[in-house]
Amino acid sequence: MSENLTAARGRSTLSLHKLGVFCGLTAAVWLGTAEAPTKLVNAGLLDAAFAPFILSMGMVMGAFVARWTVPTLLKGTGFIFSDLRDKPHLIVWALLAGMLWAVANTLTIFAVRNVGLSIAFPLWNTNSLVGLFWGWLLFKELRGSGVKGWSKVLGGAFAIVGGAAVLAYATASESETPGKALVGIVAALGAGVLLGTMYIPYRKAYISGMNPLSFVTIFTFGELGTVFILTAVKVGGVANLTTQLHLARPMLFWPFLGGFCWVIGDLFQNFAAKYIGIGRGIPLSNTNQLWGLAWGALVFAEFSGLSTSAKALILTGSLVMIAGAVSISMADPGPSELVNWKQARDRECERYGLDAVKVAAVVAGDDPLAEHPPVRHWLEAVVMIVAVGIFVWLGLGTVSQHLSLNMPWMIVLVIGTILPLGLCGTLLWRRTRFS
Amino acid sequence: MKRSQSIAILTDVHLWVPIGVLILGIILLMSLR
Repeated sequence: MSENLTAARGRSTLSLHKLGVFCGLTAAVWLGTAEAPTKLVNAGLLDAAFAPFILSMGMVMGAFVARWTVPTLLKGTGFIFSDLRDKPHLIVWALLAGMLWAVANTLTIFAVRNVGLSIAFPLWNTNSLVGLFWGWLLFKELRGSGVKGWSKVLGGAFAIVGGAAVLAYATASESETPGKALVGIVAALGAGVLLGTMYIPYRKAYISGMNPLSFVTIFTFGELGTVFILTAVKVGGVANLTTQLHLARPMLFWPFLGGFCWVIGDLFQNFAAKYIGIGRGIPLSNTNQLWGLAWGALVFAEFSGLSTSAKALILTGSLVMIAGAVSISMADPGPSELVNWKQARDRECERYGLDAVKVAAVVAGDDPLAEHPPVRHWLEAVVMIVAVGIFVWLGLGTVSQHLSLNMPWMIVLVIGTILPLGLCGTLLWRRTRFS
Repeated sequence: MKRSQSIAILTDVHLWVPIGVLILGIILLMSLR
């Protein structure tokens, strides 16, 4: 238990469990907000058969740009490369996780197209149960936690999935279901399994002492490479892909922006997976549906025509999800569960010849390297300028769907999105120096 | 990377579970229209 409470000299003494819970909830805010820009995409510009692939490609390209810039800004390339040299075997898992995400994300776009977001979302939300299963089976999470711990986490995870299902039922009238429902349902469930399995590499990296910022830097190559190959195969070659991207140019800024928000959320999700495990961290970050719902209802007025009973169901589903999140937040791992966590960590150290003392320190948020300020290289400034330049270039001449926006609510939600980023980022810095 | 580490990677169940799921996912994705 002590490793969950102690902190390096001069650091905050916030428990790692509380820090992980904050990270999970902040991840939910940003992952939910990532849906908002995609609502402005005018997919009518694209060939319908290829639209899911091109949209996914746009989002992944935005994520690629963000994934290089955020770690570079926070830790510097020197730290990232040093971390990777220390645990080179994890490059395989980081690439694999990126590939799983890329396939899953494309499946979700098919699912949304065929059955609508409100049905597809809760179906792929089952990824938290898949992640919970892998966490228990492969990383000894929840083992030794007792009936009380199990009921809090499992009950909370089921409440979040159940709440998602209630929200789906309540908002089903909002979605246009163009047939092919079975294909959409299979795609959404497939995405759930892939996303839940993607957390195996996450957890493996973090119990081996890898920094989440290093992990996502490699992850993004697996992600972009896979989407590029899948899309090129689907549209009939690289030349056709270039043509499709050119057609998509006027709306490409929106999936790029969604990808950027998604990366911020994913980074916090990675820190949550590191500090509270995937069994607890993933269900918490899956409350992002609430934020997606808030954007849809308050800013885009998607549910203005709903009946009173449907609104009551939305309120009920949201409260059930919040209750699930509260339940998991209170499920602090006890000493006997932490012994099992340590066994899983020892397995990695023995198998891959890692320094067990150093890994234990990093896992406890006390990376010795984190105390040294990163050595900056002029190339990092170039990376930043290029990234900002890409967003500005895409932003110029962008067109969006003509949707009426509720500006006051948009300002409230933007502030509500930035505040947790600042708060949780500060907590992470004070407690772990982003380690 | 040392040979022993390559063997450790290739015999790790943590590798083959995600690879199996990934292959199934790609088959599913490419069969969708």
